[in-house]
Amino acid sequence: MTDETEEIRMAQAGDQSAFGHLVTAYQTPVYNLAYRMLGNAAEAEEAAQEAFLRAYTSLRSYDPQRPFRSWLLSITSHYCIDRLRRRRLTWLSLDDEESVEPKRLASDCPDPETVVAQKEREARIQQLLATLSPTDRATVTLRYWYDCSYEEIAETLHLTVSAVKSRLHRARCALAETVEGEMNYAL
Amino acid sequence: MRCDQASEMMSARLDARLDGTHMALLEEHLATCNACLAQWRRMQALDGLLASAPMVRAPLRLRALVLARLERRERTRRAIIGSTTLVLGTVTLALLALAPAAFNLLSATGIAPALISGGPETLVQLLALLGAIGRTLLVLAERLAVPLALLSLCGLATAAALNSLWIGAVRRLSAAR
Repeated sequence: MTDETEEIRMAQAGDQSAFGHLVTAYQTPVYNLAYRMLGNAAEAEEAAQEAFLRAYTSLRSYDPQRPFRSWLLSITSHYCIDRLRRRRLTWLSLDDEESVEPKRLASDCPDPETVVAQKEREARIQQLLATLSPTDRATVTLRYWYDCSYEEIAETLHLTVSAVKSRLHRARCALAETVEGEMNYAL
Repeated sequence: MRCDQASEMMSARLDARLDGTHMALLEEHLATCNACLAQWRRMQALDGLLASAPMVRAPLRLRALVLARLERRERTRRAIIGSTTLVLGTVTLALLALAPAAFNLLSATGIAPALISGGPETLVQLLALLGAIGRTLLVLAERLAVPLALLSLCGLATAAALNSLWIGAVRRLSAAR
């Protein structure tokens, strides 16, 4: 039995400390998904907390045959999709983005020019994602940041594989239309 | 090949889901269709942009916040169970305290001895009596529906207020600890 399986079993029995270890292990994937879906750090933090609380409440119904990460990301993405549907305005302004800047995992480079370029690229990505429907946004996020296969995305979002394929294609076409420049990629 | 088919293949190719035959077909189409070639380059640019974005790290306090909320929720749950138990216990004690008095009342009115010494006829008569009482209560309820509803609401409000006071007291005690 792996450490994670044991921690899940203990958390199912009501051990909050074991659940704390699971939170530590999965906080970044859950938070990143919430951030990519919702577009700002404050909401992402709130959503990540809520997703973990929902996971704790539903732990008894968790099927150990299923990957825990996929189950947790499913809870997070559904919560974020519901939250986005309740939200009237999904557009993230650049000002909002700058006011609550999250930390990136990749380089901690102090070079100001790199930092500015990263911020601009990040803002652009979030603006692009914000133009998609909540489910398309979740599909693109799971594909690019979690390297999920069509089958994994389908399981996480409760869609069919062909729906995932067509959503990804549609989202790419829409996003590609809005992308300008950066045409240096060779065929 | 039609342009819409080529477009779907572009997406599949970015996901490494295109086999050699279809890849060759796509490249053949792109070599002859400028519109699709332009779309393919836009899609590649988009793919590069998204693929280069790093995972956003969770704030360090997230774990502590989640565990604190879990603890708060657990305290509230315990307080609700405690207050419910208290209310049920009080009602049970009240019923137990009233039971001897009720039995004495039945004895004084002669109903209890009649029930004990009487046969099935007494039981039938008693059921008839209960039926009559029930019908009377129904008539009364029709007349007193509005005042009774108000009274029930007052009772519920009082119970809710007492419950909140109890939960608040338990929370304050837990916080003090």
